[in-house]
Amino acid sequence: MVAGDYEIPEDLLYSREHEWARRLNGRVRVGITDYAAKTLNDVVYVSLPKLGESLAQFTVFGTVESIKAVSELYSPFSGIIVKLNEELNSHPELVNKSPYVEGWILELKPSDYQSERSALLGPADYAKHLATIATSTEHH
Amino acid sequence: MKHTPLFGFHKGTANLTEFAGYEMPLWYTSISDEHLAVRNTAGIFDVSHMGRIVVEGPDSDRFLDRLLPTTASSQPSGKSFYTLFLTERGGIIDDLIALKISPNNYILVVNAANTEKDFDHMRAYSRGYDVRMSDTTSASTMIAVQGPHAQDTLSTLVSINLDGLKRFRNIATFVRDREATISRTGYTGEDGFEIIIHQVGMANPEPALEIWKELANTATPCGLGARDSLRIEAGYPLYGSDITEEYSLYEAELAWVISNDKHEFVGKEALDVGAGRKPERKRRGIVLDEKIPRSGFEVYAESAEKIGEITSGSFSPILRKGIGLGYLKDEDQEIGHPVRVKVRESLVGAKIVKPPFYDESLYGWKRLRER
Repeated sequence: MVAGDYEIPEDLLYSREHEWARRLNGRVRVGITDYAAKTLNDVVYVSLPKLGESLAQFTVFGTVESIKAVSELYSPFSGIIVKLNEELNSHPELVNKSPYVEGWILELKPSDYQSERSALLGPADYAKHLATIATSTEHH
Repeated sequence: MKHTPLFGFHKGTANLTEFAGYEMPLWYTSISDEHLAVRNTAGIFDVSHMGRIVVEGPDSDRFLDRLLPTTASSQPSGKSFYTLFLTERGGIIDDLIALKISPNNYILVVNAANTEKDFDHMRAYSRGYDVRMSDTTSASTMIAVQGPHAQDTLSTLVSINLDGLKRFRNIATFVRDREATISRTGYTGEDGFEIIIHQVGMANPEPALEIWKELANTATPCGLGARDSLRIEAGYPLYGSDITEEYSLYEAELAWVISNDKHEFVGKEALDVGAGRKPERKRRGIVLDEKIPRSGFEVYAESAEKIGEITSGSFSPILRKGIGLGYLKDEDQEIGHPVRVKVRESLVGAKIVKPPFYDESLYGWKRLRER
């Protein structure tokens, strides 16, 4: 689906901090949303965590930095990091060009997928979440 | 929030941000693309939010001589010069470009956030001088055309030959059929022009929008994001970040604005005391090996001693590295000196440089002059 200027794929789960999670054969692939990428504009660094590191749900695992701003990355699930998108070291702009496909950031082996997924948003609720942000910005 | 006459273009095409009470474009497509357009071809910026204060009347030369560290009366007509407003204690109130139109007739272009403060400062010293000061900001439009192709872009809208307008000179003319003042100045390090279109304000924005759209045929609209990354890359200070009342103009490396023949001006006594001393800290450029410095990040010597702080930082699209401006302690300012910058939890290798950060044979206005 599309909300305003932002693409929100139907088959993903979303955090309120604008990460997405895609289930892939028992793993979870994580990235940042089209909204996050467009708001940051021109991503120039993605600092990745280490392979094998274990993350708790909604804890910070890295940062995305653009010309103007730096933003922390929050893990949508608890689990162990099993894969990193090393391509981002030399091509951080993939986060802008293709936030849901080539710009993925890492893959986790989730430790408690079923119970943690309820803390995330589906595409419709994430679209509503973006609408709330847009309204609060207009009131400033 | 306040708007400029060009807001009708920005709304719908730009990602907007609040700046000094105005709703302004932060970027249209990409900060990096807009930045590179200015370095390689031409970009246009809406700078209508910048304060424009007209000073006229028979004592204007004398009045500005009293107020500014730069001698206004000895500047030729048609000169645009960078100068400062100072407190009696020598602190920097604002930096500005003064356009001398003719004897006793000036337009002062000041920072948007400081327009009222500057106006009050001027009024406080105006007693006894026959001068009229008027804030014409909302009754005019100001556009910056910047980049190596800036002259080609602007020449299609003016009847004068822009070859005759040298850097730091201004001329009263027409842009299309509107009265305008064109100054060959800018805030990007590139060749370019700052155009004030008179009598075209919020009440009648259409002529400004038409001129903007014509310029946009051959130049890239740029937002405040690229304006900031370009000025940092050129090493230009931003008032409020890199220069404030807390820094002296010796520390800021801006003492060159003081004219040699200046006997009396606001702040002179305090500066005379400062001139005899070595500044404790100085403004420098810093290039990082990785990551991006931001305002407030600490700078360390290799000995692990803290030697300064970053006052503004960005990613340089030209160097593909993080760059920053900041103040470093006296003994540690040497160009080429290795230092370290604390980026969140880690210390990152960095080097002190003298801005601009780019190679001046490849970028910036000087390359055009050398050809």
